[in-house]
Amino acid sequence: MHDHPHSTTNEPAPAFTPALRDKIKGFLTRYETKRSAIIPALHAIQDELGWIADDHVEILDKEFGLHRVQVREALTFYSAFRQKKPRKHTIQFCNNIICCMVGANEVIDRIKGHNKKYESQGVEPPFSVEGVPCLCVCDGAPAMLVNKDRHLKVTMENVDSILEKYASLPR
Amino acid sequence: MGDTLTKVKITTACEGKPDARSLKTYVANGGYTALKKAFSMQPGQIIDEVKASGLRGRGGAGFPTGMKWGFVPKDDKGPKYLICNNDESEPGTFKDRYIAECNPHMIIEGMIIAGFAIGANKGYIYTRYDFFDEIKWLETAIREAYEAGFLGDNIQGSGFKFHLDHYAGAGAYICGEETGLLSSLEGKKGQPKVKPPFPAISGYLRRPTIVNNTETLASVPWIINNGAAAYKKMGTEKSPGTKLFCLSGRVKRPGVYELPLGYPIEKLINEDAGGMLPGYSIKACIPGGSSAPILTADELKGLTLDYEAIAAKGSMLGSGAIMIIDNTMSMVELLKVTVDFYHHESCGQCTPCREGTGWLANIMTGIAAGQGKKDDLQRMFEISRNMEGKTICALSDAAAMPTKSIVTKFGAEIAEFIERGKRA
Repeated sequence: MHDHPHSTTNEPAPAFTPALRDKIKGFLTRYETKRSAIIPALHAIQDELGWIADDHVEILDKEFGLHRVQVREALTFYSAFRQKKPRKHTIQFCNNIICCMVGANEVIDRIKGHNKKYESQGVEPPFSVEGVPCLCVCDGAPAMLVNKDRHLKVTMENVDSILEKYASLPR
Repeated sequence: MGDTLTKVKITTACEGKPDARSLKTYVANGGYTALKKAFSMQPGQIIDEVKASGLRGRGGAGFPTGMKWGFVPKDDKGPKYLICNNDESEPGTFKDRYIAECNPHMIIEGMIIAGFAIGANKGYIYTRYDFFDEIKWLETAIREAYEAGFLGDNIQGSGFKFHLDHYAGAGAYICGEETGLLSSLEGKKGQPKVKPPFPAISGYLRRPTIVNNTETLASVPWIINNGAAAYKKMGTEKSPGTKLFCLSGRVKRPGVYELPLGYPIEKLINEDAGGMLPGYSIKACIPGGSSAPILTADELKGLTLDYEAIAAKGSMLGSGAIMIIDNTMSMVELLKVTVDFYHHESCGQCTPCREGTGWLANIMTGIAAGQGKKDDLQRMFEISRNMEGKTICALSDAAAMPTKSIVTKFGAEIAEFIERGKRA
């Protein structure tokens, strides 16, 4: 199901901005325990930088006192977190019961086909595509998220125009 | 026996109103008056009222809400916690999202009342992270409630303190299980904990904690305002009140329907939702989210939507997610999607679940690829039987129940697929 590029070991980890540092600092005292800041901190890093690199885990440990083992526990357990650099846009397509019934798999294949088109031209494809469990919008099936935008009733007829719109947009 | 046909809007009260989510609209429609009334009552009276209303947990288990609240030790000096389980992730379910969309303040008001009843001064709303808009709306509503003095140290001069924050999950179905949710809220892997002790005694950070589903909490203000007796006038004797039903599949009008419990399912499908789209017919129905055993089209005849009637058919009302499976759907695909999901979402701590869901997924992958074996159906049934009642939480059962029911009721279709190596 996964159509992610594999980052090289040399992929540089994007640096934390001062705003991101402030945000994480705020989480440390916002909840009952410091450990509860781990999940919000990982979300904040991914939102701002796109993914969570090994170096980021080290920063959380050394600068913020969030133990690297505990950070890694959350990072590897929850499927929301990406440990590899994604492509320009991330597509999460529901592959659960109702979406499958109304044609999700066909549309997912079409999206992957788009990526192949770019690959054949020697261009980095713009979309990371993954099948995800029920997005809980079954009344609008088939459903997908492109980055943080929810798209409903995504069909063979309209998927191309949706993708074209994103392909021309920056990250 | 109450009224099972007349529709009353309780948790969807602001539906369709302009600027429905705002504090202004909520207050203009009687919002936060239940809170005022609650402050004039004793906490024990509130618990008794909710007990008397017969309100049952709307997340799926259907446990009596008032009784759950009553388990919190009264002499405990705190801290105690109240958590709203808004981690809607049971496949087929989309009702809590809808409440956040049209009535976020109703969740907050329900939480303050519940917090007052159990003596909790801190609450969290835990939402699945990919409800991006809904989280924004909930956070806005929390901010509005603080600004208006409905949240804080001395709410409306009552002397009661209640602080509320929002917490986003990170993509794990298991965090909808209440102790898995609490593990996650503590920043850990979302693995469920052994019960007892139940969260009411030892929950979040080992303190007394109540975890209630969004819809359950959103039902509380109406019950306090109108009284338990009025609530019991709707629905059936054992399943009182209204419930949100999430109807999906190829019906003309899929969506969220607030209906009294005991409402006829055929009326919902054929009248409210306008029936099936042309060219499609009902093959089966999953009545309570993907964990619920499947029902055949025949079994829907005369079926009413209440906990008891669906249990009598060997399935469950669950979260109220009614998935209509039509004639285009292969039961091999349905079962494969279902077991793949549970395999992906098993948290891994109990062997029968971790291994069992994997075995089921492997067998279904084989069948779908045309490499099924004659005894696969029997093997799946046996594996499922050995997954039930043997684990810390119900995820293992949630995989076993639909598997057993699909293998039993649609075994002939799957056997034919195995025989031919493809769909007939």
